[in-house]
Amino acid sequence: MALEPFDLTHAKRDHGFAKTVAPDKGKLYTCIQCGTCTASCPTAFAMDYSPRQLMRMIQLGLYDDVLRSKTFWLCTTCYSCTVRCPRGISITETFQTLKRLSAAKGVEKKADSARFYRIFMDVVRRNGRMQETQTMAQWILRTNPFRALSFASLGLALLRKGKMSLLAHRIRGVDQIQAMYDKVREIEARQEGQR
Amino acid sequence: MKYAYYPGCSLETSAKEYDVSARAVFRALGTELVDIPDWNCCGSSPAGAVDYLLSLALPARNLALAEQMGMDVVVATCSACYLSLYQVEQHCRRDASVRAQLSEVLGAAGLEYKGKVRVRHMLDVVANELGPEAVKAQQKRDLKGLKVVPYYGCQTVRPYMTYDAPDLPMSMDRLLEAMGAEVLPYSLKTRCCGGILITTAKDVGVKLVSDLLAATAGADCVVTVCPLCQMNLDAYQAEASRLLGRQVNIPVLYLTQLMGLAFDLPEDETMLYKNIVSPRPILDKLG
Repeated sequence: MALEPFDLTHAKRDHGFAKTVAPDKGKLYTCIQCGTCTASCPTAFAMDYSPRQLMRMIQLGLYDDVLRSKTFWLCTTCYSCTVRCPRGISITETFQTLKRLSAAKGVEKKADSARFYRIFMDVVRRNGRMQETQTMAQWILRTNPFRALSFASLGLALLRKGKMSLLAHRIRGVDQIQAMYDKVREIEARQEGQR
Repeated sequence: MKYAYYPGCSLETSAKEYDVSARAVFRALGTELVDIPDWNCCGSSPAGAVDYLLSLALPARNLALAEQMGMDVVVATCSACYLSLYQVEQHCRRDASVRAQLSEVLGAAGLEYKGKVRVRHMLDVVANELGPEAVKAQQKRDLKGLKVVPYYGCQTVRPYMTYDAPDLPMSMDRLLEAMGAEVLPYSLKTRCCGGILITTAKDVGVKLVSDLLAATAGADCVVTVCPLCQMNLDAYQAEASRLLGRQVNIPVLYLTQLMGLAFDLPEDETMLYKNIVSPRPILDKLG
């Protein structure tokens, strides 16, 4: 992967960035750049920055470049890096945090994964359960309707096997689910206010 | 022995055969899976990508309901569900403030999670509690001559090292061997199938699936314990064949389907007709 060098003298940097994104706070600073994470990552080949490179960028506080990266959107949360990291850094959780941060800052507008996750969570709020067909259909419509073509053969195969349901099952306690969503938002707003 | 059972959303539709065969196999082993009443989606990995607290609150509601049932153990069949549920316990233990917030969120739904119920993967219960001997005792049909590749996937054994090794697990291998199957070495047994990427970044997902399938050469079938793994490996073999430049056509079974076959359970309990790549050759081979 050829990389342009970063101009650290003039780049916007947030020196507390590693502490913001890592669940284990300062641990990320102990990364020794060994590259075990990258070597263990099944999707590193498709990333713009490898996991190891992203770790270094986080340490350096290059938050703009980090949040714009595709790297964490390609993380499948398989935890290979996490269990192998010799420093015990929670890399997968850090990447999950980056997904949330990137979405909150609106940097991810083009990330199809971000939209998928959002739709998934909306379907769960409405029904208490995830409904595969609804989630897929909404995501295709809201990202790229032509994409429907590439999923047509899968849809047919699933339909033929009776593996696709068009009806959403709504749980009885859906009001509990919605109360939980609302409470989470309330707690987070409260925390935001304290900051 | 009764277990609280968390089937998860996939097992309601796209992985119905996993649900039905798991219940049947547990019954055959003299145990029972009792549904958590009115369970909800665990949030899976999307929840963690959208909201941390919600990613714990969603599975915690199910654990609270399981505690109301008076059950000690929740069994999850889907590996993503297993991890979501298991994580609640781990994160509460790691961070007391998380625990406090979680109880506030559950309180809004009139529920309480006491932290008493244990979460276990179906594979863990079958392999380590019921054990290969009990499985063998129920066996009516020998799997001798059947060459199988055990595919564990990622979240079945990671990140918490509770019942098996994160890179080279053996629990499924031992069960398959006990039933007489020939377990082929498979170095990719815990390599990720790509999960949701097959939808959101199809090229990347298909590449992962192709690598996994390419390494199964010589096997009669792949055996899985996760609905995402099964779907990705079973439903994208045409795409994988195009990428690999050779025809791939290998049945991908749930462990519980293969156990059902060994136990000689009726067809409507193994539901082998639900798999996209036909398991017919396996049936023919076993006779």
